[in-house]
Amino acid sequence: MVTVKIENLSYSYKDSATSVLHDISLSFSSGERVAIIGQNGTGKTTLTKHLNGILTPDTGRVLIDNVNVENKTTAEWASKVGYVFQNPNDQLFLDTVKKELVFGPSHLGIPKKEIQKRIRFVSELVGMQEELAEHPLNLTDSEKKFCAIGAVLAMDPNVVIMDEPTGGQDKSGKYRLAKILEYLKTQQKICIVVSHDMRFVTENFDRIVVMANGHILLDGAPKEVFSNPQVLKEAFVTPPPITDLAQKLGWETTILSISEFIEELKKRVQ
Amino acid sequence: MTDNWVRRLNPKTKLLMIPVFGIATIVSPGMLLGLFLLLVVIVMAWQANIIKKFLQTMISFGIPIAVMLFIIQGLYSPQNHTYVANLGFAKLGLEGLMYGGKLLVTLLVFMGSFYLFNKTIYSGELAAALIKSSLSDKGGYLILASLNVVPQMKRQLQVIKEAQEARGVQTGGSLLTRIKVFIPLMGPVILSSLIDTQERGMALELRGFDLKNVSKTSYIQVVDTKLDKLFRIGMLLFLIIVTAFSIYLKVRR
Amino acid sequence: MKVSSKDVISVNNFSFSYPQTKKPAISSMNFTVKEGEFFCIVGANGAGKSTLCDSLVGLIPQYFLGTTKGQVLVNGQETTKQTVAELSLEIGLVFQNPFNQLSYTTSTVAEELAYGLGNHGIPRSEMLDRVAAVAKKMRIESLLDRDPLTLSGGQIQRVAFGSTYILNPSILVLDECTTQLDPIGSEEIFTIIKQLNDEGVTVVMTDTETERLSMYADRILLLDNGLQMGVDKPQAIFAREDLEKLNISTPLNYQLTQELTKIGILDSPEFNQDIILEKIKEVENGYR
Repeated sequence: MVTVKIENLSYSYKDSATSVLHDISLSFSSGERVAIIGQNGTGKTTLTKHLNGILTPDTGRVLIDNVNVENKTTAEWASKVGYVFQNPNDQLFLDTVKKELVFGPSHLGIPKKEIQKRIRFVSELVGMQEELAEHPLNLTDSEKKFCAIGAVLAMDPNVVIMDEPTGGQDKSGKYRLAKILEYLKTQQKICIVVSHDMRFVTENFDRIVVMANGHILLDGAPKEVFSNPQVLKEAFVTPPPITDLAQKLGWETTILSISEFIEELKKRVQ
Repeated sequence: MTDNWVRRLNPKTKLLMIPVFGIATIVSPGMLLGLFLLLVVIVMAWQANIIKKFLQTMISFGIPIAVMLFIIQGLYSPQNHTYVANLGFAKLGLEGLMYGGKLLVTLLVFMGSFYLFNKTIYSGELAAALIKSSLSDKGGYLILASLNVVPQMKRQLQVIKEAQEARGVQTGGSLLTRIKVFIPLMGPVILSSLIDTQERGMALELRGFDLKNVSKTSYIQVVDTKLDKLFRIGMLLFLIIVTAFSIYLKVRR
Repeated sequence: MKVSSKDVISVNNFSFSYPQTKKPAISSMNFTVKEGEFFCIVGANGAGKSTLCDSLVGLIPQYFLGTTKGQVLVNGQETTKQTVAELSLEIGLVFQNPFNQLSYTTSTVAEELAYGLGNHGIPRSEMLDRVAAVAKKMRIESLLDRDPLTLSGGQIQRVAFGSTYILNPSILVLDECTTQLDPIGSEEIFTIIKQLNDEGVTVVMTDTETERLSMYADRILLLDNGLQMGVDKPQAIFAREDLEKLNISTPLNYQLTQELTKIGILDSPEFNQDIILEKIKEVENGYR
């Protein structure tokens, strides 16, 4: 079990006077899959970087299992809070995929046997079992992303943060991501993902947080969040095409999937 | 940017000042000429309205270097014969002090003229000036691109540092840990810059960087006045004379 | 009619393999693109989309060495007959990562836009006019004096796009140019592309995201694993049974209308939201 609590967090970058995050309070609990959405530059990444101490709040605090994040260094948090960066090229540095996966757990002093077991499992989860001997440089962008995700998951962190994992992924890539998210839920992890892909977000998350200009505008289940077209517009977020269609038809029920749409249409024409 | 004659000088003129002043200081005997050239640079910085920052930079750089040079050269130079003071554990030699002084002046002349150049032009202007001149534009590109890529690389290094910390690599702490993390940091930097370089090369190619038999033009207008040309010829003549005179003095001795 | 019958690109039995790899990155490509067409290349990651784009603008085989077979013709001439720079006056390429398209030798957006013109020796007076015109098209007039490196992702992509378009190519190749942008940023880029296409510019575009492509595409080239699986109208492409296997996602609206067609509520599947809205409203009213 794990808890993450963000309390009245405000933050502004050193070289600018305007604040990036204003009085943010959020809490997450075990097994939650949370998507953070909103336009670029609204502070999504800035917020997630507070969860492992890359950034420290100007005011307010972040607690993980009731420990203030500021009390330890980012590197010390790595075993508990896994963070997958937007660009895998920033994160990968070894000459084989296998070494990337081994690096984290061996750093934590985990016994060799256990590491072997983890690598076998994680490489299959992220679809890298055939590429273990490859140099990360030879992977496609999408494979590099999965390699970086694998490197983080190999440390078995209780909180997993991913920044834009959906960017540039094709159908099978997104399907694999969905599988990973599902697995993390069964393991009672907290999974926080920044994404622009509304369709993916609706289909794979229990909770969506909508941000605009450093504030949280909406926070709730996909159905709840997407039933507020007015607020979403303020955040420059367009709901998934199906939801949008139903709203333009003037339907009151919020539709998230094709089957829901067909059912509603049938109800209406009967 | 305020307008004044130093800023209006053609970037090439100011660029040429760096090697001419620097080399003249090195080849000339003693440090008198170097001190004079340093004075010229200071006056130009004053004229360009950047004197305060200029002096700050020169002093914050110059004092520690001066102390270091004077101690090392003054106390331990093998050329020391004349001693000006006895500190007990070692004697302060005049020859070493003079040599240290010369090194210091040379460094300051190079740095000062580079600072002046850097602060009184802006890069677009230099690109334009180099395009107009017969100077190889590949060389010009290298100078400029490296100047411009530095801030971006710095930003990237910061991101990579964060990414490595998030993987459990301690990047702060003692010198030894810092050296140890240097390798994981450099891997991604080199990797990303390799990928970027290939694409940037493609982009340049597409944008006609390599076109031959075309006289290139530029968005920025740079004026190359008669005065500029005169200055440049003057500087080159000056360098030749100083070099010849120094050689003559050496030979005669 | 916006699309003419003239072929501006013809790819004839073209194959390419990168050095040190046995398997060709793309093989036996055979298709043409008509003047004024909005032509999309769809395929999973690693299908060969970027390789094909690089081949169209001559970077393959001039910049990337490797083994080629067959030929690529742009405006009737083989791409190998001209340098990449000369070719860029006819066919322009916009990258996925705009940062890599900057010259890194300029301090303002205006200079960045003009950089390519300078290399082609365009006189300064004409340069000024063209910078102003392109800035307007790309909606970056207010950014002309800004340092490109201080702009947002969407803004930089428009600068990069502008710096390609300023050379006045009649064909534009856009290689996943919205992948790194947020929805608003990519919306802006799509609007500009659509506008240019309406004005007669031929567009060749790749993306992993089919949602929006399907609405604009006149025809789609389907790629899988370096092979050409078909070239056809979006209706025909998305009606294919093998899309699942080829790892291509069907646009959500299209999937919906496909389902509605199957159960007899609609008569044919559609891509365009406006048309779908109208049809469903008809259905709703008809039954009442």
